[in-house]
Amino acid sequence: MSRSEQPGDSGVWFFIFADMCTFALFFLIFSLGRMAQPALYEAGRAQLDLMLGLANTLILLTSGAFMAHATRQARGGNWTGARRSLLTALVVGSAFALTKAVEWATKLNHGIGLTTNEFFTYYFVFTGVHFLHFLIGMVVLGVLIGRCRRDLPQADRLRWLEAGGAYWHMVDLLWIVLFAMLYLQRAA
Amino acid sequence: MQDKVDTRYWRFCLWMGPLFIAVFFVCWGILGDNFPPFAPDTPAAEVAGWFRGNAGSVRLGMVVAMTFAPAYGVWGYALAKILEQTIEKDSILVQLARVGAAWTTITVLVPTSFWLTAAFRPEALPDWAIQMLYDMAWLLIDLAYAVTSVQMFALGVGWLSDKRAVPLIPKWLSWYGIWVGFMFVAECIMPYFRNGAFARSGVLNFWIEFLIWMGWVPVLTLYAFRAVRRIEAQ
Repeated sequence: MSRSEQPGDSGVWFFIFADMCTFALFFLIFSLGRMAQPALYEAGRAQLDLMLGLANTLILLTSGAFMAHATRQARGGNWTGARRSLLTALVVGSAFALTKAVEWATKLNHGIGLTTNEFFTYYFVFTGVHFLHFLIGMVVLGVLIGRCRRDLPQADRLRWLEAGGAYWHMVDLLWIVLFAMLYLQRAA
Repeated sequence: MQDKVDTRYWRFCLWMGPLFIAVFFVCWGILGDNFPPFAPDTPAAEVAGWFRGNAGSVRLGMVVAMTFAPAYGVWGYALAKILEQTIEKDSILVQLARVGAAWTTITVLVPTSFWLTAAFRPEALPDWAIQMLYDMAWLLIDLAYAVTSVQMFALGVGWLSDKRAVPLIPKWLSWYGIWVGFMFVAECIMPYFRNGAFARSGVLNFWIEFLIWMGWVPVLTLYAFRAVRRIEAQ
């Protein structure tokens, strides 16, 4: 892809790359831990609510689809439609906070916390760091919704919409990997 | 016509950043044996025994580290001068970049004084007291991350609003600083762990966190020198 075709801002892509490297490190740490204690990790995995994890995945993917739609609309000059799609992405995405809160609260009520064992340490830390990314993404979506209305140059508005979109898709992608790693992958 | 910017002393001040990192690494890291630190689950007797056996080098290391701590602030003020060339001088971002650098100096000075206290008369202190001073120093230097994040966010956001076709500081570096400031949040979980990746000596909360910050300083300084050349040529 040529430089002029790169969506968003080049600096944002650097941020995304650096962030993905951090999560890659998380996954490596987790994998090494699981290789050392497969039984403990499997027991931890069995205590997670697969349906809530799946619901979270679907919520973020749906929200991401609206984000992508908003970008397509903006490229075609339909900023009113883009704003509506962003609002939908925000509303749908906010359900992730609700399901995550329910999941964490249930775990804590059952006496499972950050220091219960190594599996749950990683579970709470990784999903917590991801949740922080999610919250920032919510703020970004809010800012983008505001910018859709402002009288700014088309190229400038589009650049930031694409940059915000790239970030929001990263939040999706990281969750999908977390979901597979924590909820689905069984110890060998 | 725009007045020529007075850049006297800027380069000198910018050199203070890499100098601070070099001195901090040698004095605090090597002489103070903080690179890496004792794991939190190390017995108090072992930590105290090390302090008693190496009190001289720790004292020297911490005294020099404290002396050079303001170098970070001096460097930060020079960066804020470059920031003034991309946004309005009275922008709050310039003020935040300055206070972030100044506060970071304090968060280096205070914990180093705790390590120095532990090495001052370790033979007269019980093991637990030395361990407590050691823990206090580490908890403070790690958990005070947010003041440095203020500096990093202010510089990053300010430089990203540079309207030049080629910004004074590259966008990727501005984003890198924001990312590092954001990554520091991981220090919040450090007090909950006595071993592993998230402990103060762990791969994330020590190796990654310190190295991404210590690498940011010289790389940013390099680009800051280039920015000064461009400002002078304007």
